[in-house]
Amino acid sequence: MGVGTKRPDFADFYRRSKDECLFTVLVSVGDQDTAQDLVAEAFARAWASWRTVSRHPAPTAWVVRTALNAHISRWRRSRREIPLADPGAIADRPMAGEAPGGPVDPRLMAALMRLPDRQRQVVALRLFLDLDTGRTAAALGIAPGTVQAHLGRAIAALRADLVPERQREIPS
Amino acid sequence: MIDDDLLTIVREQRSKVRMTTPVEQVIGRGRALRARRRLPGLAAGALAAAGAAALAVTALLPAGHQAGRPLPAQLAAWTVTQRAGGTIYVTVRQLRDAAGLQRRLRADGVPASVTFFGREPRACQPYPADRAVVGKVFGGHGPPLVIHPAALPSGAGVQLNPGHYAPGAPIALAFGLVRASSGCTGP
Repeated sequence: MGVGTKRPDFADFYRRSKDECLFTVLVSVGDQDTAQDLVAEAFARAWASWRTVSRHPAPTAWVVRTALNAHISRWRRSRREIPLADPGAIADRPMAGEAPGGPVDPRLMAALMRLPDRQRQVVALRLFLDLDTGRTAAALGIAPGTVQAHLGRAIAALRADLVPERQREIPS
Repeated sequence: MIDDDLLTIVREQRSKVRMTTPVEQVIGRGRALRARRRLPGLAAGALAAAGAAALAVTALLPAGHQAGRPLPAQLAAWTVTQRAGGTIYVTVRQLRDAAGLQRRLRADGVPASVTFFGREPRACQPYPADRAVVGKVFGGHGPPLVIHPAALPSGAGVQLNPGHYAPGAPIALAFGLVRASSGCTGP
């Protein structure tokens, strides 16, 4: 909290939450420069509406949602999309040579991309932003039980994708 | 419910990402946004522009999935077919082997940048083209994606990336025009 203010201080909020917001947006858009632009713009909008945003039940979720909405708008203005011929068949792993220049493990990126939208949103809020079930439910406009169900399915899928390999790397 | 192994993986990755934009820069932009909001004329203009953009999106979105051409028997991650007149048909089934797809398109005469995971090349910059030009380069309402290389404006190339927001399809193939350069679309 800022000294002498009733609302949280914006600069303090930015310092505490900017990296986790960036990570959350990054795993959705896949490009760090784009993610950083989007998150900076979302924080700027948060500053411009700080009276409202500071009272939001989950201001970090507000920032992430604003950044991703801006991404959708930006993308739709400049590009077209067609569905994959087989939308369920996302590559198991990025091929050699496709490893990103960015910092996030491409296995995690690939595993997240395979999740349905709603499961990915729940994972982002619960695991990346560390929101509790109630705040996640409020941010997404769904019931807490639905959050739990989506999270359970997402974790099962992520664990199947990510954890066994990692465990094999641990020497016995 | 959330097992420790998974949390460890996620948190390791999260700790690697750092936002480097200074707070002063963010606040400066916020001040500009707030000032602009106070100008009713500008706000109305922005809304009009947003409406135009929405209409453009509506016009660009495919009306539905076409019955389509029969898929080849070999279900590769992607297939590129060049037909008479130079028109190229690209069917992507899996986001796999972006480098191979990029090589194939370039070999078929399309300056192309393809990225399925990770960063797009920094050298890639959007090519300023209106909808009519984009519509001539990319035909049909795929899949498959149809590319007319002859319609590419001088100095333009093609960029393919995963998209996330096509209605009903969590993952889609996004495509657009970029400025052709050796660092983006190849020599």
